[in-house]
Amino acid sequence: MSAAAKSPAPGARPGRGALRRNLPPARRFLAGRKRVLVRLGGWSLLESAQTFLGGYCLAQALDRGFLAGQTGTGLLWLAVAAASILGAGPPMRGVFTQLAELTEPLRDALVRRAVRQALRHAVTDPARTDDRADTGAVSRLTHQTEIVRDSFAGLVLTVRAFVFNAVGALIGLLALAPELLLVVLPPLVLGIGLFLATLLPMASAQRAFLDADEAVAEGVGAVSAGHRDLVACGAQADAAQRTGRLIDTAERTSRVLARWAALRTVALGVAGQLPVLLLLVTTPWLLRQGVTTGALAGALTYLLQALLPALHSMMTALGAAGTRLLVVVDRFQDATAPPVPPKAPDPDPDMVVEAATPRGRRPSRTAPAVEIRAVTHAYGPDSPPVLDHLHLTVRRGEHIAVVGPSGIGKSTLAGVVSGLVAPDHGTVLLGGEPVTGTTAQDLADRRVLIPQQAYVFTGSVRDNLLHLRPDATSGELTYAIGVLGAEPLVNRLGGPDAVLDPRGLSHGERQLLALCRAYLSSAPLVLLDEATCHLDPAAEARAERAFAERAFTDGARARGGALIVVAHRLSSARRADRVLVLDGTTPRFGTHEELLTSSALYRDLFGHWQHTPPPVGS
Amino acid sequence: MKTPPVPQDREGTAAGLLLGAARHSAGRTTAVFLCSAASAVASLALPAVLGRTLDLLLRRSPDADPWLLACAAVIVAEVLLDALVALLGGTTSARSAAWLRTRGVGRLLAAWPGHAARFPPGDVAVRLTANATEASTAPVSAATLGASLLAPVGAVVALFLIDPWTAVTFLAGLPVLLLVLRAFARGSSDSVASYQRAQADIATRLVEALAGARTIAAAGTEARDRDRILAPLPQLATQGRRMWRIHGAAVARSGVLMPLLTTAVLAVGGIRLASGDMSVGDLLAASRYAALAAGVGTAAGLIGSLIRSRSAARRAAELMALPAMTYGARTLPPEGRGTLELRGVSVRREDRTVLAGVDLTIPGGTSVAVVGRSGAGKSTLAAVAGRLTEPDAGTVLLDGIPLGALRRDVLRREVGHAFERPVLFGATLGEALAGGSPMPEERVRAAARAASADAFVRLLPHGYATPPQAAPLSGGELQRLGLARSFARAGRLLVLDDATSSLDTVTERQVEAALARDVRHGTRLIVAHRLSSAARCDLVVWLEEGRVRATGPHEELWRSGEYRALFAPPEPGPAAVPAAASKTEPYTHRAPVAARAVPLPHKHATEPAPAADTAERADR
Repeated sequence: MSAAAKSPAPGARPGRGALRRNLPPARRFLAGRKRVLVRLGGWSLLESAQTFLGGYCLAQALDRGFLAGQTGTGLLWLAVAAASILGAGPPMRGVFTQLAELTEPLRDALVRRAVRQALRHAVTDPARTDDRADTGAVSRLTHQTEIVRDSFAGLVLTVRAFVFNAVGALIGLLALAPELLLVVLPPLVLGIGLFLATLLPMASAQRAFLDADEAVAEGVGAVSAGHRDLVACGAQADAAQRTGRLIDTAERTSRVLARWAALRTVALGVAGQLPVLLLLVTTPWLLRQGVTTGALAGALTYLLQALLPALHSMMTALGAAGTRLLVVVDRFQDATAPPVPPKAPDPDPDMVVEAATPRGRRPSRTAPAVEIRAVTHAYGPDSPPVLDHLHLTVRRGEHIAVVGPSGIGKSTLAGVVSGLVAPDHGTVLLGGEPVTGTTAQDLADRRVLIPQQAYVFTGSVRDNLLHLRPDATSGELTYAIGVLGAEPLVNRLGGPDAVLDPRGLSHGERQLLALCRAYLSSAPLVLLDEATCHLDPAAEARAERAFAERAFTDGARARGGALIVVAHRLSSARRADRVLVLDGTTPRFGTHEELLTSSALYRDLFGHWQHTPPPVGS
Repeated sequence: MKTPPVPQDREGTAAGLLLGAARHSAGRTTAVFLCSAASAVASLALPAVLGRTLDLLLRRSPDADPWLLACAAVIVAEVLLDALVALLGGTTSARSAAWLRTRGVGRLLAAWPGHAARFPPGDVAVRLTANATEASTAPVSAATLGASLLAPVGAVVALFLIDPWTAVTFLAGLPVLLLVLRAFARGSSDSVASYQRAQADIATRLVEALAGARTIAAAGTEARDRDRILAPLPQLATQGRRMWRIHGAAVARSGVLMPLLTTAVLAVGGIRLASGDMSVGDLLAASRYAALAAGVGTAAGLIGSLIRSRSAARRAAELMALPAMTYGARTLPPEGRGTLELRGVSVRREDRTVLAGVDLTIPGGTSVAVVGRSGAGKSTLAAVAGRLTEPDAGTVLLDGIPLGALRRDVLRREVGHAFERPVLFGATLGEALAGGSPMPEERVRAAARAASADAFVRLLPHGYATPPQAAPLSGGELQRLGLARSFARAGRLLVLDDATSSLDTVTERQVEAALARDVRHGTRLIVAHRLSSAARCDLVVWLEEGRVRATGPHEELWRSGEYRALFAPPEPGPAAVPAAASKTEPYTHRAPVAARAVPLPHKHATEPAPAADTAERADR
C-alpha cells in the first residue's frame, strides 16, 4: 500500500484521534439507518426474553417443582425454557437479515470510497501512479473492506448479544430478587469500565502492529524484487540488517498487543467471575433477606450461562475486531484528505490579458491552434526547469513532431499543452483561449491526449471506442476503424459489440483501440504522446497520416485543429510539417531541413539513424 | 555444487519448520502448555467447588467459609492463568513469527538469484508476513490444544461422578450437535464464490482505469469511469446479503442445540434432585459441566488453526528450501588484471541446454562484446561470468582463481554488474548508487556523471536524496542509474548485460566514451544488441544456441553474412543498412573510431522513402 495511505494524519494520536475522526461519520451512518436498528433491536429483544426465561424458569422449576416435591411442575417450567430456546431460531435469522442491512451498505460505501479515492489520486497525478499504488488501491478495495465488513458484523453481533443478554439477565435478577442486582451490578460495571479503558490504547497498539507488519511486507518485497542486484552488489548483510530491524519492530508491537490481551482477560475476570464470587459471599445475607434457593440458582445461571459467554465474545470482538476496524476505517479516512489542488501559475502579464477575455466565447477563428508563451516548468521547487521559457506556435491544420532524448520533458510538454500540468510560469493558449481555468469537460472538447499507456477496459469494443463521444454514429465508428486500419483487430475481437478482455490484447492492439477512440472524439487538437510506440512502423505511419488529415479538414481547422506527435521513432519527425527538438538546452523548432542545419542534436540523431552500423559507406 | 540438490534441510518442510519454531521457543511453549493446563484444571474444579459451597451455604453450615475461600482461590487462579496464557501465548507467537521471518529473509538472501526469482516479490511478502504470522501460532495452538481437550473430557467424567444419568443424557444429545455443525459449510461456498467474483470484477476494472489514468485525466471522464468500475457493486451486495442469510440460518440451528442440551441435563438432574439423589449444588455443577463438555468446539477451532498454520508453514518452508549460494575463502592475486576464463561451462534450465561446453579466455583489460540471437545464452553467460548463476558443469576463473573459491566480499568488489532492468535499493538514490556499501559522495556523483545520470538526478525534487520509489524514472533513466551503480564499484571485471538497450543513441555514445575514459580500467563483458557497441569492443564473442560460434574482432566477423544478419535493425531500417549489409558489397572496416569520423550525411541521404524502407525490410 502506498506510504501516503499508511501514515496517520500528522500529529494525530492514533487511538483517540482515530476515534474522534471516525465517530461523526459512524454516527451519521447509523442515524441514516434507524429503521434497521429498530428492527435489529426488536429481534434481539426476543433473545432477551429467552435469556430471562432461562434463569427464571430454572428458579421456578426448583422452588415450585423439584425442591417442593412436584417433579411434574419442575419439568413443566423447564419445558417452557426449552420452548423459548426452540423459538430462538427465527429471531436469530431476523438478526442476521438486519445485520446485512448494516454491513452491506457500509461495504458499498467503502468500496465506492476506495474506487473514488484511487481514481482521484491517479487522475490528479498520473505520473506518480505505479504498481504499488495499484496494489494499495486493490488491497483497500478488497482485503481491507472485507476486514471492515467482518469486524463490523462481529462487533454488532457481539455487542448486541451482550446488551440484550444483559438486559434479559438483569430483568431476571430483578424479578427473582432485587437484592441480587445490588450484588451483581458493581463488579460487572467495574469490569466493563476496566475493559473500556483498555480499548483506546489497544487500538493504537493494533495500529502500530499493522503498520509494522506492512513495513515488513514492503521490506521483504523489496529484498525479493532486488535480489539479483543485492547479490551482485554483495549487499546481503546490509539488506538482512535493514529487514531485521523491521522484523524486530513487528515483534515488539505484537508483544505489546499480547500484554493488552492479558489485561483484557483480567477485565473479563472482574466483570464475569467476580459477581459469582460476590454472590456466594453474600449468600447468607441474601438467604436472610428471603431470597430462595431457586432464585440463587437462577442468578448463578444468569451469570455463568448468559453473561459470562456474552461478555467473553464481546470483549474478544471489541479488543481484536473493534480496534482493527477503527484502524482500517481510519485509513479510509486518511486517504480522503482532499487532494492538493493543482497549483495556480504565477500571474503573468499575458495571462492577465487572456483572463480578461469573456468566458464561453467561441474560440477565435484566426488564432493559432496552439500558442505556448514563455512556459517554464520544474519538477520541484529546487530543481532546474525541464521547460525553460519555451515559446511555440502551432498553426491551424499543422502537424508537429517533438523529438529529443528520453527524460528531456517531452511528456511534460504534452501535459502542459493539454492543460493537465499547470506550468510554473507562462501561458498556453488553444485557439486563442487559455488552457487553464477551464473544466475537464471543456478541455476534452478542445483537445484529446493519447498517452503511451493505452487505456482499454473490460467492456464492448463499441463502449471502448465511443468512450470520449458516446453519441458517435455507427458510420463514424466504422470510418474511424477503417481509416486507422483496425478492422482486422475489431473482427478478430468479434465485431464492435463483442466484449473484450484487455489482458488478451497486446500493447500494440491496445494502442490501436485508443487511437480509434481519439479519432472519434470531437476535439480538434490531437496530442499523441508516444501513443504509437507499440505499433509496427507501417501502422504508425498510417495512424499519423490519418490524424494529420483529420486536423487538416476544414471543420477541424476552423476549430483550431492540429496534430502534435511526441515521437518515439525518428520517422515520425520526417512526416511532420515542423519539428520541435528538445535537448535540454535551447529548444529548436523548424522544418526537417532547417533543423539539419540549426540543431546539432537533430543532425546527430539523423546521422546516427542513417548510419546505425558503423560502415563508412560503400 | 552442481544442480541444486533437493534440500535435505528439515526447515524445508512444513513440519520441520514448525518444529524448529517450537524448539526456538521451547521454554515458553512449555510454559503456555502448563498454564493452560492449570487453567483447565481450575475451570474443571470450579463447578464442583462452587456447588459444594452453595450446598453448604444453603444449609447454613459453618464449614462453608473454607469452601468460600477455595472458591475465591480457584476463580482468581483461573483468571490469572488465562491472562498469563494470553500474555505468554502472544509473546511466544510474536517470537516465532520473528524467527520464521528472519530465517526466511536469511534464506532468501543466501539463495541463487535464478532460484529466488521463482518467487515474485508480492508472493514473498505474503509468505513472510501473513503466512509466517499464521504459521507462528502453531506452537501455542498445539500447547493449548492439549489443555483444551482436558476441559471437555474432564467435564464428562465430572458429570459421571455427579450423576451418571446426566452424563448419559449429555452424551446421547452430542451426536445431534455434531450433525448440525456439519451442515454448516454447505450452501455457503456457492455464494462466497459469486461474492468474490463480483469483488474481483470491480478490482479488475479499477486496475484497468488506474493504468489509463492519464487518458481519463485528459478526457475528463472520471465520473463516468467511476460509475463503470462500480457497476458490479449491486451484484456484490446481493451476494453479500445471501451470505449473511445462510450464515444466520446456520447460527440459528447450532445456537439452539447447546442450550437445549443443558436444559435436558437440568431436567434429568431435577428429577434426581426431587428423588433426593442430587443436591442443588450438584445440579448447578452438572449444568456447568454440560456447558464445559460442549467446549469441544474450542478444540475443533484449535485443530482448524493448526491445519491452517501447517499449510501456511508449507508456503513459508518453500522459501527455506531455496539452496544457498556458497563462497570460498580465497582472494585474488594482487597483480591480476581481470583475466576471465571459462572452461567447459554448461548450464541447463529445465531440460534445455542454455550453455553447452563454453571455453573462453578473455585477457585482462579487454572489452568483449557478447552477441547472438535472443535465446542464444548471452545473459546466462553474463550471469555465469559474475557468479550470479552456478554452471552445471565447468569452471569460471578470474585471474586463475575459480569464482566459487573466492570470498564473497572479494568477488563482489572485483566483479560488477549492470542489468537491462536494474532494481534500485536503498533509502535514497545516493544510497542506491552506492549499492549498499559506504562510499564517498563524490565517487557516486562521478559514476553518475559517467553514466549520464547526474543531470537528470539533479532535476529531481530532492536530487540524490530522492527515494528511488518517489522518482518518476523512464526505462532509460533507470538503466543509467544501474550503470552508475556498477561504475561506482567497478573492479577487475564489469559485466554489462544489455545495460544500455533503452538509451537513445546519443546517450549510449556518451556513456561508452565515459566508460572508456572515466571508469576504473578493467575487463568488460558487454552483452549487446547494437552493432555500434559490438564494433567498439576489442573482441566479439558470437554465441549461437549456447555454443561459441566464433570469437574475434568485429571487423573479422563482419565478413560473415550471418553475423551481419544479427544486427538487422529493429525498426524500419534506413536505406543505408541493407546496402551496407548486402553480401554483394563487402564491408571494409578500418577502425571503430572511423565510424565516428564519418562526415555528416548529405541531405538526400537523410530522406529515405518510408515505403521503400518497408519494402526492403520485407525482402530480408
